[in-house]
Amino acid sequence: MKILVCIKQVPDMESKFKIDDAGTWYSKADLAWRMNEYDEYAVEQAVQVKEQLKEGDITVLCIGSDKVKETMKKALAMGCDRGAHVSDEDSSLKEPLQIAGVIAEYARDKGFDLIFTGMQSQDRGSGQVGLLVAEMLGLPGVSTVVDFSIEGGVIAAKRELEGGMKACVSLKVPAVITCQLGLNTPRYPTLPNIMKAKKKELISTPIAELLKVDARQGTEKMYFPEKKGGGLVLEGETPELVEQLVKILKEKTSVLS
Amino acid sequence: MEFTREIYWNVGHGASTLIPMYLLTIVALALLVKGIWQRVQVYRTGLPLVRNDQVATRLLRVVDNVLLQKKVVQVAWPGMLHGLFFWGFGLLFIGTVLIVIQADFTDLLFDVKFLTGTFYKLFSIVLDIAGLLCILMLGGLLVRRYFFPPEGLETKSDDAVMHGMLLAILITGFIIEGARMAVTELGTPLAPWSPVGLVVAKAVSPIGENGLLALHKVTWWVHLLLVMVFFYLIPATKFRHILTTSANYFFSDLGPKGKLVNLDLEDEDKETFGASSLKELTWKDIFDGDACTQCKRCQDRCPAYNTDKPLSPMKLVREITRIAHDDPEGNMIELCDKDAIWSCTTCRACQEICPAAIEHVGKIIELRRSMVLMEGEFPGEEVMTAMEATEVNGNPLGMGYAERGDWAEDLGIKTLAQDSEVDVLYFVGCYGSFDKRNIKVAKSFVKLCQAAGVKVGILGKEEKCCGEPMRKMGNEYLYQTLAMENIEMIKAYDVAKIVTSCPHCYNTLNKDYRDLGLETEVVTYTVFLKELIDSGRLRISGGELSCTYHDSCYLGRHNDIYDPPRELLKLAGAAISEMDKNRAEGFCCSAGGGRILAEEKLGERINVKRVNMAVETGAEVLVSNCPFCLTMFEDGVKGAEAEDKLQPRDIAEILAERLG
Repeated sequence: MKILVCIKQVPDMESKFKIDDAGTWYSKADLAWRMNEYDEYAVEQAVQVKEQLKEGDITVLCIGSDKVKETMKKALAMGCDRGAHVSDEDSSLKEPLQIAGVIAEYARDKGFDLIFTGMQSQDRGSGQVGLLVAEMLGLPGVSTVVDFSIEGGVIAAKRELEGGMKACVSLKVPAVITCQLGLNTPRYPTLPNIMKAKKKELISTPIAELLKVDARQGTEKMYFPEKKGGGLVLEGETPELVEQLVKILKEKTSVLS
Repeated sequence: MEFTREIYWNVGHGASTLIPMYLLTIVALALLVKGIWQRVQVYRTGLPLVRNDQVATRLLRVVDNVLLQKKVVQVAWPGMLHGLFFWGFGLLFIGTVLIVIQADFTDLLFDVKFLTGTFYKLFSIVLDIAGLLCILMLGGLLVRRYFFPPEGLETKSDDAVMHGMLLAILITGFIIEGARMAVTELGTPLAPWSPVGLVVAKAVSPIGENGLLALHKVTWWVHLLLVMVFFYLIPATKFRHILTTSANYFFSDLGPKGKLVNLDLEDEDKETFGASSLKELTWKDIFDGDACTQCKRCQDRCPAYNTDKPLSPMKLVREITRIAHDDPEGNMIELCDKDAIWSCTTCRACQEICPAAIEHVGKIIELRRSMVLMEGEFPGEEVMTAMEATEVNGNPLGMGYAERGDWAEDLGIKTLAQDSEVDVLYFVGCYGSFDKRNIKVAKSFVKLCQAAGVKVGILGKEEKCCGEPMRKMGNEYLYQTLAMENIEMIKAYDVAKIVTSCPHCYNTLNKDYRDLGLETEVVTYTVFLKELIDSGRLRISGGELSCTYHDSCYLGRHNDIYDPPRELLKLAGAAISEMDKNRAEGFCCSAGGGRILAEEKLGERINVKRVNMAVETGAEVLVSNCPFCLTMFEDGVKGAEAEDKLQPRDIAEILAERLG
């Protein structure tokens, strides 16, 4: 079983974000970086499939500057076998179609049986890449998967729908799966695996070799939502709260008049 | 008359006595050596560990704690019973050795007798009283164990054997003496020099001389046989503690107190880390359980045990040794119970009180290391989340690393990146930097430094968690990663002194970081502030304050800093109402050992229990010196519904309000 896992390095969401000088993306200064949360589910699922089948080879792919190799090493420590780094200093300027194009170009002649991605990235959140890859490769794509099993090349997956509904999907490999929260609990890499990961194959390819798709959309502007009147939290014992509320209603509204 | 007695009176000093006696002795000693040798073979299955350097220091520990019984009598009841019994039995042993020397060497070979005259009188009365003392003390211990057993005391067949054997040896000794005196000494001026023997003599004298001679002879041989069986029983029963506990003082950890073994993570030949099986522990880890006397002092003080968690330090240590003897291939982690292993707060109460020099905490950390480093396993998902947060942002709270110095923005202090010419580097720690409640403490400390004219610098976003909670949870890899980054940063700025307001940071920087190359002086804020006051640079004015003081485990037991914080509080006008459990006996807040990262899911809440102890003192303020303690107490006063009665505060806050 040949498996590809596509991951993205994203800023930690606790960071204090600022808009960059061009006004089209966040500034990269003072950010802490980590693996996109949904991609961690993808890595974990790939490793679980390999463990279940007791055979397989997992390639982890990531697009970005050399810095993303740190995040790739975590995927290797979790159990991926080799790393495919697509070197690109400006990956944040690429639109989802271009990213998907690069992945599809990389995967096209390699005969992957399964491709796992996160259902979306925590920073851009387009949710398009996985399914675009499936389309470009002519493979079935299943999105927002929260339950996954495979038996004799047949996948049984559960997708999460709105309102808590689940859809059961059955399909044959090869296929593309995008992973949602709840699919699994990503493992904490063990020390021997961290050490082994340092010696695993990690090959960088310049993005120019794989980027054959033109952009069809561009980001015009990125900005924080305007601050509007905030909420007001009243504190104190119930009788005081009632008094305060009545006062506010009288002063600022006409409901009591 | 000459004051002496005939050795071997009535039993004879000929070959018919000496040959069976010495044959028995040789057999008994041979069995003793064989028993010891068999156990030594088991100790030798452990990994090597050097514990025979600094011989003089080690011997001094043996003198202090074996001969002087210092640790044993620290708990007066029942420690004093053991102490007095030990000293009494020691005198009896010396007395017996003197008899052997005279009868079988000096007298036999050179016709020299020294057990005569005044020396004999003293010899006689001292041994007599020592024997009585032993019986009384043993009786006291027996009554305690069998009639009024304290909670948690385990009584096994070993205990019955030991009590019975010792009592039988002592009582037969007095019967021999009484029978002899009834025939030879009654009515002589020598008799009063054996007061206990005299009472026995008077009691047995009615049976007449022939009866007495027979009684004496039979009892003499019974007594000898009992002593020989006693020798044989030493390695086979808890009697072994006579040898193992004594030896364990020689093999003590000579410090720095509580410093963990630094794992070599770069060692490429190493395939496993931590301990999940016997072969990954040292010989000392196996030996410790044999030195344990099950006195349960550790268990009595363990915050986990006392809040219904599955950990007893005593049972864990003994289980490891049981595995070594009975089940050497067993899975150490399963057998010791994961929940027990995770429950430890590394508060060191067990190790500090142990009268057998056992090292409990290191073993628990080794087991945790195996779970974390080899299995990626934690006590709960929240702990894994905290570990991952620390990997990304350098703090377990998951706050953005770039905001680490934001708390100090308006205080007029700079980061070392802005200005590295400072008197001291304040290593703030994660809670002082990010936690709203503890930021107040950090600000108070800076205010105090500024009042004393001390120029303080911080690392700001260049500081990372010191790694202590991660290390104590077993995550040595993450700890070393953080430590190396911090050390590199600190070294680059070449500061003269580091001050910490978190005892966990203090202990880690001052002890653990030494293994990784940090040489800078590190002081804790309580000592630092005390020095500023003593030198007149900082003035504090007194005001009324009714408080109780909580010794954090890492300032207290781990570093023996008990007085400076109390002196600071007194200078601030505080009247301290001590809790029952204070200083070395202080009760943990629950957050040590990395437990600050974990939810407390088992048993009672430790912090609530501690808060209730503080409430009992009637004090209005609970003063502590540690961000973890403060956090746990802020939560604990809610759990104990004591928010109106008790206010948790840090010592720096108290002082900053009382600047003179």
